[in-house]
Amino acid sequence: MDAIFEFLFKYRSLVWEQGDFVFGAPASTRLWLGVAGLLAASAVATYTIARGKSTVADRGIMAGLRVALLGLIVFCLMQPTLVLSTVVPQQNFVGVLIDDSRSMGLENADGSLRTDFVAEAFGPESDLLAELSERFVLRFFRFSDVATRIDALDELTFDGTRTDLATALDGAREELAGVPLSGLVVVSDGADNEDRPLTEALVPLQAAGVPVFSVGLGDESIEPDIELGRVELPRAVLEGSTLMVDIVVTQSGYGQRTVPIIVEDDTRILAEETVELGRDGEPVVARIGFQLDGSGSRRIEFRVPAQEGERVERNNRRTAWVDVEGDREKILYFEGEPRFEVKFMRRAVEDDDNLQLVVLQRTAESKFLRLSVSDSTELQFGFPATREELYRYRALILGSVEASFFTFDQLQMIADFVSERGGGLLFLGGRDAFAEGGWQGTPVEEVMPVILGDPLGGDSGYFQEVKATPTPAGLAHPTVQLDAEPVAVSARWDSLPPLTVVNPVFDTRPGATTLLSGRAVAGGQNVGGPDQVLLAFQRYGRGTSIALTAQDTWLWQMHADVALEDQSHESFWQQMLRWLVDGVPTAISVSTDQERVEPGESVRLVATVSDSTFIDVNDASVTARVTSPSGAVDELTVEWTVETDGEYSVEFRPSELGDYEIELIAEREGAELGTDRAYLHAAPSDDEYFDAARHTSLLQRVAEETDGQFYTPETVGTLPEDITISGAGVTLIEEHDLWDMPVIFLLLLLLMGAEWGFRRVRGLV
Amino acid sequence: MEMSRQEGTVPWEIDGATSNPVAASFLGQEAPPAVGRPTTGGGIGPRMNPDETPGRWPFYWTRAVYSGARRGWNGGGGGRGGSWATDYPKGDRQFLVVLKRLVRLNAYDWENAVQLTNPDLRRFPVLYAVEVGRMDLTDPEVEGLRSYLEAGGFLIVDDFWGSRQWAQFEYNMDRVFPDRSIVDLPLDHPIFSAYYDIEQIKQVPNINNGAGGYQTHERDGYVPYVRGITDDKGRLMVVINWNTDLGDAWEWAESPYYPLEYSTFAYELGTNMIVYGMSH
Repeated sequence: MDAIFEFLFKYRSLVWEQGDFVFGAPASTRLWLGVAGLLAASAVATYTIARGKSTVADRGIMAGLRVALLGLIVFCLMQPTLVLSTVVPQQNFVGVLIDDSRSMGLENADGSLRTDFVAEAFGPESDLLAELSERFVLRFFRFSDVATRIDALDELTFDGTRTDLATALDGAREELAGVPLSGLVVVSDGADNEDRPLTEALVPLQAAGVPVFSVGLGDESIEPDIELGRVELPRAVLEGSTLMVDIVVTQSGYGQRTVPIIVEDDTRILAEETVELGRDGEPVVARIGFQLDGSGSRRIEFRVPAQEGERVERNNRRTAWVDVEGDREKILYFEGEPRFEVKFMRRAVEDDDNLQLVVLQRTAESKFLRLSVSDSTELQFGFPATREELYRYRALILGSVEASFFTFDQLQMIADFVSERGGGLLFLGGRDAFAEGGWQGTPVEEVMPVILGDPLGGDSGYFQEVKATPTPAGLAHPTVQLDAEPVAVSARWDSLPPLTVVNPVFDTRPGATTLLSGRAVAGGQNVGGPDQVLLAFQRYGRGTSIALTAQDTWLWQMHADVALEDQSHESFWQQMLRWLVDGVPTAISVSTDQERVEPGESVRLVATVSDSTFIDVNDASVTARVTSPSGAVDELTVEWTVETDGEYSVEFRPSELGDYEIELIAEREGAELGTDRAYLHAAPSDDEYFDAARHTSLLQRVAEETDGQFYTPETVGTLPEDITISGAGVTLIEEHDLWDMPVIFLLLLLLMGAEWGFRRVRGLV
Repeated sequence: MEMSRQEGTVPWEIDGATSNPVAASFLGQEAPPAVGRPTTGGGIGPRMNPDETPGRWPFYWTRAVYSGARRGWNGGGGGRGGSWATDYPKGDRQFLVVLKRLVRLNAYDWENAVQLTNPDLRRFPVLYAVEVGRMDLTDPEVEGLRSYLEAGGFLIVDDFWGSRQWAQFEYNMDRVFPDRSIVDLPLDHPIFSAYYDIEQIKQVPNINNGAGGYQTHERDGYVPYVRGITDDKGRLMVVINWNTDLGDAWEWAESPYYPLEYSTFAYELGTNMIVYGMSH
């Protein structure tokens, strides 16, 4: 199509787009319009006067054809011209950015490599390079994350572990900022795997008027292939925790096939799940649960075995690191009266070395029983009266205790425990819980994930047996997983005896999620009515609040219908308490912005520092002690970022393969605020093999938003000329005559032929 | 102020529950004692619908109904009546009245007697058994008690005296747990500080000996013991009060003749056992 256009109109459509159309004839437009009008009038008059055999319609058609013919001649006499702004040869620079990442080494469907084009297009024998060199001063860059100047193609390694187009464009633009720049040429597959918005790099280019010409390499779809999507795991979990992980499996060419997903660490297979792939090209989500035992930094690999004929096998696996912590997390359970929940909850988690369930049980007015405390002074005056005392705990459980037991300050402190300290808070059902405990209107009410109704306390108050049933959200939640086999979870819940509730709770707050609902039963039979909200949770500020409205989960252990060896009660409470402390922040924390880097890549250590009441500290002296895999210790000073209260950061570049241990020490005025530990894994990456097909739309967007052009290896031949007429850099004005466009002569012939033919047909010759 | 012995028994009589085995014996009736939760009468607190699933109250003071030697006017057999019903139900009710004054416990106000073979037993994780020296468990009762304790139940044993009754009780417990030994609970055991700090184990006499000012022991049970049976993890499953009669002290605490020292101690130890049994 472009070739026909160029034949008819003398120049390519792009040239027309870049140029301005003008008439070169010196006289005024009015004069030429007068001439055209005169010629047209005489043509019409000629036909009007000479009547002959012709009808009025014949004369009208012939007059029209004649007027069009004369108009075309007048158009040519007016000297139509295309004015182009073209760059001055060898006065302008062009930056050529070549993707140096690993994905460039992938094979195309025809067996060629993406890198082959680079060698051909920019090798010594290349016409394209010769033509570009003739017109411009070329500067070559290689890029994966940053753009680096190179003098020769042999400096390309195609071993970059990332593709960061935005940073590369920024780098090249800044490097060439002082020279007349006609454009940047990006040669890449466009498989950008950084999260940075491209707009950040495009806006400065638009402002500077630098067009980007992108050359897209590789196939737009890699087929057949299976690819695992990104796996999100928490950075740290407690030893023995069960994780539920969603994995997106995308594929092309393997529709409806059944494949296994294997989860393993360095020593053993943790889980294996079979997943049926969707229709060709459709992704499916697989949910896999597995347990992590043994503390330390663990590498978890998820993989699908390579399938027959698969083009890219290295995107069949994902690796994530988890710090399995052997710490003992402290949870405070405050119970307002002697209840069997205390006994059985303690029993359920007593074998869990990672949980310390400290119980404060009110046995009489102002008399408390303290269980599992760390020392004789802990909770010696009852429920904590200061934030410092309460915030030592990672989670809080409130049993059957009325709101009026607490002072207003304590109520506010409990709310802040969740919203500011980020602790987990669990509300249990009971005679003095929820509305029946007078919690409406307190600062804690809005922390609750459920909506409180009117209180129905007393001996004749609300009482209902309910059968716990997982909701769809519950079936996907680790705490509700009573069985290792996901399909068996519903059956396990169905086998458990009903519980009793004395707090009617039927609604959750907007944003809260119900995991278990309670079906009203009596004597094992449904009695109808709305379902009780049995287990629900919501995020509140930095923390999570959970409501478990039953008053006797111990029945799952004691009831005669439950086999002695049944571990449902134990599993439920272990998972519940782990969930409560999961992700609860510490006063001092350190993390890295990437969990894995390759040696030489930079990583940012980010620390948050607050005091024991979780108020951010900006004037701390923070040091990171980084121990390399070989044992070398490097001490880095971590500076306050200024932008965010309590946030400190420092850049770090590991040089060895292996695990780095980072110990953060925060001090203020000579006193230690606290320490934290994190791990960094320096290891090779397969990131470049994921989503590695050519991203045409991305490369087109880069070109279009900067007034450049997108090319494929087949169309790249016009690149030198396109840059030439882009108008960027040092330019001069070129005028191109258009009167000799083939389309004009074709039109002339067409009009003359049409008139002659018409006369012949009508017998007017 | 002196109070006559007759006056001391007045509350027992006017309580008027026809299911009261003691009252029934006085009336010369043959009706066996009721088992379970009473549904009529009152004066203490609300009673529940007998058809209602237990659970409305967090705590039911539950008495074990077991097979054993018949005791004259207690009559009945096959687990209905017998040594299990000693002090029943007055002792239970009176204990609850005082217990609820001492402890912030949402307890059902009435007696709750459950057979060891009844699956509902598992709904009551604290269980009380008296006169276990006359216990003669059937095989289903052995099985019921074993599964109850293994599931997490807590048994408090009281009011049996001397070596012969000990042997009878030990024989029955050997049938429940052939491989578990009975051990003395030292005074630094948490059960002795769960609510009150108990520094000495006193021998609590029965009503006759106590009120009459006679010896505190019965038979050859001169020294009181608090012993226990633990599970594989060392958790206390059974607490055994041997050579002592806490039940009588609870039952007759209102008697001006019964020494306050013993009833006070009995309530202290009873409270500790319940608070401990509900939290450990």
